[in-house]
Amino acid sequence: MRRLWLLLALLAATPAAAQVHAIEVRTPRPFGYFLGDLVQATVEIEAEDGFVLQSASLPRPGPLTYWLDLRAVETETAGPRQRLRLTYQTFYAALDARSLEVPGFPVTLVRDDGRGATSAPVQVPAWSFGVSPLREVQPPRRDDPADYLRPDGSAPRLDPAPARNAALGLAVLALASLLWLALDRAWWPFRQRRTRAFALAQRQLAALARGPEGEAVYRDGLLALHRGVDQMDGRRVLADDLPGFLARHPAFRPHGPELARFFAASRLAFFGGGVAAARAQWPLARAAATARGLAAAEREAAS
Amino acid sequence: MSAQAMLPDRRAAWGRARPRLLLALPVLLLAGAAACGLSAWRGARANAGIAALDAGRDIPITAEAPAPLRLARVMALTRRGQTEEAEGLIETLETGPETQLGARARYALANTRLRRAFAHLARNELDPAGPLITLARQDYRRALQAWPDFWDAKFNLDVASRLLRDFPEFDRKSGDELKAEPKKIWTDIPGQPRGAP
Repeated sequence: MRRLWLLLALLAATPAAAQVHAIEVRTPRPFGYFLGDLVQATVEIEAEDGFVLQSASLPRPGPLTYWLDLRAVETETAGPRQRLRLTYQTFYAALDARSLEVPGFPVTLVRDDGRGATSAPVQVPAWSFGVSPLREVQPPRRDDPADYLRPDGSAPRLDPAPARNAALGLAVLALASLLWLALDRAWWPFRQRRTRAFALAQRQLAALARGPEGEAVYRDGLLALHRGVDQMDGRRVLADDLPGFLARHPAFRPHGPELARFFAASRLAFFGGGVAAARAQWPLARAAATARGLAAAEREAAS
Repeated sequence: MSAQAMLPDRRAAWGRARPRLLLALPVLLLAGAAACGLSAWRGARANAGIAALDAGRDIPITAEAPAPLRLARVMALTRRGQTEEAEGLIETLETGPETQLGARARYALANTRLRRAFAHLARNELDPAGPLITLARQDYRRALQAWPDFWDAKFNLDVASRLLRDFPEFDRKSGDELKAEPKKIWTDIPGQPRGAP
């Protein structure tokens, strides 16, 4: 970074002079700016410890002259140095390369030591930078003067491809997750999964519970649940085998009492000849609820 | 608790959470896919609107339309010389987050004003040309304030500035920042001389 520096030896007569040691204005480059360019300048003020820039005394961003705007003012403290970062924008339409002077401005440094504030006025010196012309002084002659202008251009188009690709990708993922869900719940096309024996029983019982009630329907419902238990265990399970079944499939242990009631109702309905008594004891809706609970337990166990 | 004992615990927790996760996943993914699809559809529709405006067909645009579509409408309006209608849309672009598009809209307006000034100058009508050039310079300056690296605006501001130089001896503190209302240009004309001859 090339330095343009202006070291100001402050007047020793003022009391403030003792507190402010040096002021320096630096720019990244002091030449080669076109109109509209941003010009950065850093003012470094070396002062006694404790002095900081008073924000009310800083120049306010806005137009300074007809050809210069002050766009941003930032302050920074680095030890005894107070740094002021200024961003200007030049609008000088130069016909030749020339140097322009940026006017100086006063700022105030303050130190508050608890007993009262001490202020030190500082004058930031004027500094200059070089502007360059953008075009030749005499451009080639055109018949229509509007041809000297750069064209309007056209509005940019939106790019719908990223959103479209994201939509397609998410749709594919959604389809995959739907398949996974169908696999988990033994929905079509995974209806015959051996590890989802109760899912089938649950569906059959739900269908039966929706239809008209009757003894035959009740018997079908009990059979569906029997098939579910049998399929889960891979063998025929009767009431006496229930403790063994629960030992082999600990996931269904919470449903043990309900299963015992189911086997009792089943014995009453099929071997005791008391379908009506069995229905009163353990109705079809309860069988459907049991199947629902067993299907959920079977899904949780199949992680 | 030992690591061996924690393992079945974790597996049981996963087992409980998994069926619910599997149920939520397709719903969330489908919602995401629908949102992205809607965004893509809107983009394609905006592009069709921009193409129509570029082809010279006028379609009405609301202030909520996508920024490039609003810019295309501003350019279509300024091409036809409807600068007053364009101003409102330009302001919506300039206050929005896409400052470069606002700068391009402002630049298109300035170009139209400058071309109109050129037309007056070609007919030797100097009086109406002056305010138009001043307005064009203000618009180029605003475009550059929003986008300092807008090279076409720099170039055209240079063209406009050479037509009408600033007069530093007047000590104009505010330059082109003077807030001149485009419709009240005549207030720039000096009034009647006062005092005795």
